[in-house]
Amino acid sequence: MPSMMIETKGLKKSFDHTEVIKGIDAQVQQGQVIVIIGPSGGGKSTFLRMLNMLEQPTAGTVTFEGQNITDLPANKLDTVREKMGMVFQSFNLFPNMDVLANVALAPQRVKGSSQKAASEQAMTLLDQVGLADKAHAYPASLSGGQQQRVAIARALAMGPDVMLFDEPTSALDPEMVGEVLKVMQGLAKEGMTMVVVTHEMGFARKVADEVWFMDGGVLAEKGTPEQIFDHPQNERTQSFLAKVLEQ
Amino acid sequence: MQKKWLHRIVALLAALFLTVPLLAQTQPVQAAANDTSLADIKKKGTLVMGTSPDYPPYEFLVNNKPVGMDIDIAKQIAKDIGVKLVVKQMDFDALLVGIETHKIDMVLSAMTPTPARKQSVDFSNVYYNSGQSIIINKTDKNIYKNYKNFANKKVGAQTGSLQYDLVKKQIKGVKMTGLTKVTDLIIALKTHKIDGIATESAVATAYVKNNPDLMVLNHQFNLSETDSGSAIAFHKGSGTLVAAANKTIAKIKKNNLTEKYLADAGKSLKVNVADTSMWHYRSYFIKGVGYTLLISLIAVLIGVVLGTLLALSRLSHFLPLKWLATAYVEFIRGTPLMIQVMFLYFGLNIPALTAGVAGVAMNSGAYVAEYIRGGIDSVPKGQVEAARSLGLSYKDTMRYVILPQALKIIWPSLGNEFISLIKESSIVSVIGVTDLIYQLRLVQAATYKGIAPYAVAMVIYFILVFGLTRLLNFAERKMQHA
Repeated sequence: MPSMMIETKGLKKSFDHTEVIKGIDAQVQQGQVIVIIGPSGGGKSTFLRMLNMLEQPTAGTVTFEGQNITDLPANKLDTVREKMGMVFQSFNLFPNMDVLANVALAPQRVKGSSQKAASEQAMTLLDQVGLADKAHAYPASLSGGQQQRVAIARALAMGPDVMLFDEPTSALDPEMVGEVLKVMQGLAKEGMTMVVVTHEMGFARKVADEVWFMDGGVLAEKGTPEQIFDHPQNERTQSFLAKVLEQ
Repeated sequence: MQKKWLHRIVALLAALFLTVPLLAQTQPVQAAANDTSLADIKKKGTLVMGTSPDYPPYEFLVNNKPVGMDIDIAKQIAKDIGVKLVVKQMDFDALLVGIETHKIDMVLSAMTPTPARKQSVDFSNVYYNSGQSIIINKTDKNIYKNYKNFANKKVGAQTGSLQYDLVKKQIKGVKMTGLTKVTDLIIALKTHKIDGIATESAVATAYVKNNPDLMVLNHQFNLSETDSGSAIAFHKGSGTLVAAANKTIAKIKKNNLTEKYLADAGKSLKVNVADTSMWHYRSYFIKGVGYTLLISLIAVLIGVVLGTLLALSRLSHFLPLKWLATAYVEFIRGTPLMIQVMFLYFGLNIPALTAGVAGVAMNSGAYVAEYIRGGIDSVPKGQVEAARSLGLSYKDTMRYVILPQALKIIWPSLGNEFISLIKESSIVSVIGVTDLIYQLRLVQAATYKGIAPYAVAMVIYFILVFGLTRLLNFAERKMQHA
């Protein structure tokens, strides 16, 4: 029986009196790959960002590895976030340092690794995402796909228990989507727990253990890829998939 | 010379002192009830004299040391009391405030004991009365024989000075030109922007001796008792000290020592004008450059640290801190640097250089804070999110991720701030800090040359700023490269 990694209960979020997340109860088990799909504005990203408190919920709780993290003070939250890697749509690499330093910064500052140990680990991770030769390049000189792979390596450097991906390929040129998805697929194969918000239906079908369909701030339907893609029950899931798969 | 606006500043300072309890101790309240002024001087063993050494033959610098009749008289007074004389240099404008705030014990600076001044300080008897003169161009000697010939003409005098009032009252239809420094008036006269300069006879004689194109008309104006003569100013209620000074003055008058003092001053002046090339005075300029750079550098360093703290406070969610920082920035930006510097110097018991650096740094910090705040705001929000999602603390996020990027964005603005600091730091010359402007005034006074020192100072400022601009551009390119 795999253990519970993340659990949300009655999770709600409002921006300026507009409720965008209307109460979500969900669980992520250790080793699971969850792919969240749904129309834009359906609350997918907001939900994901509440999992590591980048957005503070208006109501409800998030429990991570048995600990309620909803109202943690800032310093305690930092130690929780170490264990939750996050990859952003716009990469958000630090432009003021080279690729190696991007990956090695947090282990040195947060975990107290020596510079040597952090650099060695960073090189290993960069090698894993196929970018060892770019270690001393600055982010601005890399393509979008390369930047996103560095961002993944940077998140992995903290040795997270779970990785959160917020539309990691949406800002990429089409020919670069593949290289990023390949790295993510490799991670999934190694047993990394992942929550991925994406529009890549192929990836969802191939890699996900569970697909969640979110629309209008609620978790409208969830199931295995086969259940969602081949036999969607919810009317909104059906119409969304019809539109997406038509293309 | 008397400054009306300065009295307003004094009033403002006094008002501030009353409202700031911490500063109340420096408020001059010791009343005449218990006059221990002379005993106090004897106890501390020094008599501190304030003067503005740009007024030969009364006071001027030879080899960077103040000399002149006033210095000689002060020495005699100190000797008679049995203490050591300390000479403190300040702008003329700042002298009376210096007395009121106990920075100095007395002022000898060719000061006329006018009724207005008598309201705020005590004066000794008049120790020298040289009369009033008008300086003219030699070529005009057939036009102007006495002050009455200047009706409807242009006459210059030091702003707010006794001579200024005399000209205005006693010459019909005169067009006044008021400037702060005699050296500037001399330039105006030589370039025929004005037709004459009204000034002290001793001063007029000294200038004319060193300017062969000029000549002096002595014994001008209809003078009353209070309109002439120089006296020593003391803190209000210093009866015993004033009495001691008067005793010495009586002795000096009896032995006609002022004649000897003036002769000595004349000899000293010859040392100065023996070689009036700017190169000869290079040590003055070098000292000025040193202080200007020192003040600017320390001020910019403190300014950046202070500015960063203020910017972070303004961005903080802890409201009292945010309000405090906002109030500080708005207040500093809303008041002139000169008043801030004078307030620090006269309001707190700290040396002039410290007050000058602190004033400029505190001022700069407020501006730097706004640059940094703007810089932090312009770093994309995703950078903070990425850093925080890695578990970096707020402090580390700022230090390693946000501030370096903000610094790069605001680098050109910071550079401009440093450059303008080099120029604006000249304000500290009002409290007697020997920066480039202050030194330039001294060279003007010593050489009787008005324009040449300006030109030299201008070239020096330009070289400083231009060199600095190059340096900053170089650093910017380095950063862009990174």
